[in-house]
Amino acid sequence: MRNDTIPQLQAPLTINWAINNSCNFACSHCYSREDTHEELPRDVLYACLEKVARAGVFSVNFGGGEPLLHPQLLEIAAFASGLGLRVSMNSNGWLLDGEKAVALKAAGFTKVGISIDSHIADVHDTFRGVAGSHARALAALGHLQSVGIATSISTVICRINSTTIDELVEMALRHGAGQLNFHNFKCSGLGLANKDDLDLTPDEWKEFYRHALVVKKSVKGLDVSLDDPIIALLGERDAGSLVKGSVCGKLSLNIKANGDMTPCGFIPIVIGNIVRDDLRQVWKDSAVLEKMRNKQPTGKCSGCSKYEDCLGGCTARALALTGDMNSPDPHCWGDDEPSR
Amino acid sequence: MPTIHRNPNVMWREEDDALAEAGDALARGEDAGEIGTAVLFSGGTMLSVNYLGMEIWKLCDNRTVDGIVAELLEQFEVEEDVLRTDVRAFLDELAVKGFIVYAE
Repeated sequence: MRNDTIPQLQAPLTINWAINNSCNFACSHCYSREDTHEELPRDVLYACLEKVARAGVFSVNFGGGEPLLHPQLLEIAAFASGLGLRVSMNSNGWLLDGEKAVALKAAGFTKVGISIDSHIADVHDTFRGVAGSHARALAALGHLQSVGIATSISTVICRINSTTIDELVEMALRHGAGQLNFHNFKCSGLGLANKDDLDLTPDEWKEFYRHALVVKKSVKGLDVSLDDPIIALLGERDAGSLVKGSVCGKLSLNIKANGDMTPCGFIPIVIGNIVRDDLRQVWKDSAVLEKMRNKQPTGKCSGCSKYEDCLGGCTARALALTGDMNSPDPHCWGDDEPSR
Repeated sequence: MPTIHRNPNVMWREEDDALAEAGDALARGEDAGEIGTAVLFSGGTMLSVNYLGMEIWKLCDNRTVDGIVAELLEQFEVEEDVLRTDVRAFLDELAVKGFIVYAE
């Protein structure tokens, strides 16, 4: 009665929605610094949320920019929640005090992720470009937990933190986060410009994931999430997912502040606009999504025994660095020559 | 006998195209067991279920196993013992994943 894989879904399960593009931080790896600052008026946004709910989408995760800088975030979230959508958010935590946490709860937020890139305050503050941001991010976790909102910590793995898995886990446990998301480094926006300073080598990624997987399996009371399809090279995959390779364009979709739809936040290819287009139609007919769902092995992926599970790894990273979605993930540590 | 309840935190939907495909297959007397007609999602865990699985899921609304089996026997031509075994196994899997709860 249960199937191990899913057919092509009629609509995304979740939408990552960059509700604005304003930000009070200056992060070294920001993917959206150069994105549009055009924002949809509230009533237009409401109509779009209705369209998304009608299509059968389960959840909306607001991001940005910093969503708490959006003056109407609470009412928009309450509207989305009223439509039956599960509402969550990613924030840097700077503006999230006790009063705001109460308001978020009232608006229907069920989960909020706080970005923290190091267990060391100075390292995080320097990386994020704002002194005191580490302390306020940790405080935000406490405020959220006190009102019963589930919390997660989002950490973009890069050169400043890749060897501090144990310390990051200890920090997450100490501050009561339910989940610790280790996000793989994307080469988009400033992440591409600062790639040489921040990105790891393929062998360093291998070591990171080896250790992270050991920790993931051993730690109690904390869900350590690894969203990188290249962990298939180590014989692992996201246990909760029914799709192989990247989930982008298969389970999730990204919407920008101006309504433009892209396969994910790190792939700058516009496939439609939620104001103008039918979501299910775009989801079904987009040639870009079709290509992402039916990747073809090239280079060292050809003949690789792991390709069936990793499907070339992160499509966004391959596209950003090679211009071809089908190229092998640049983080892949597999053999350079295809097996015969 | 305990009653069975869906976890309200589980998000779920039927997939229209897959549902139509399964309906067509069943109408032709073919097996639709491999066609995932619905998706269930909770806490980072996703399940794809076939037509029968979905019907069981929808019946997890304060009924007992006997109640669910009785309802399904009206819809499907299958031996009761076989159906009961399958239903129990599926419900146990849902319970382990936290998608349903048993209540006395």
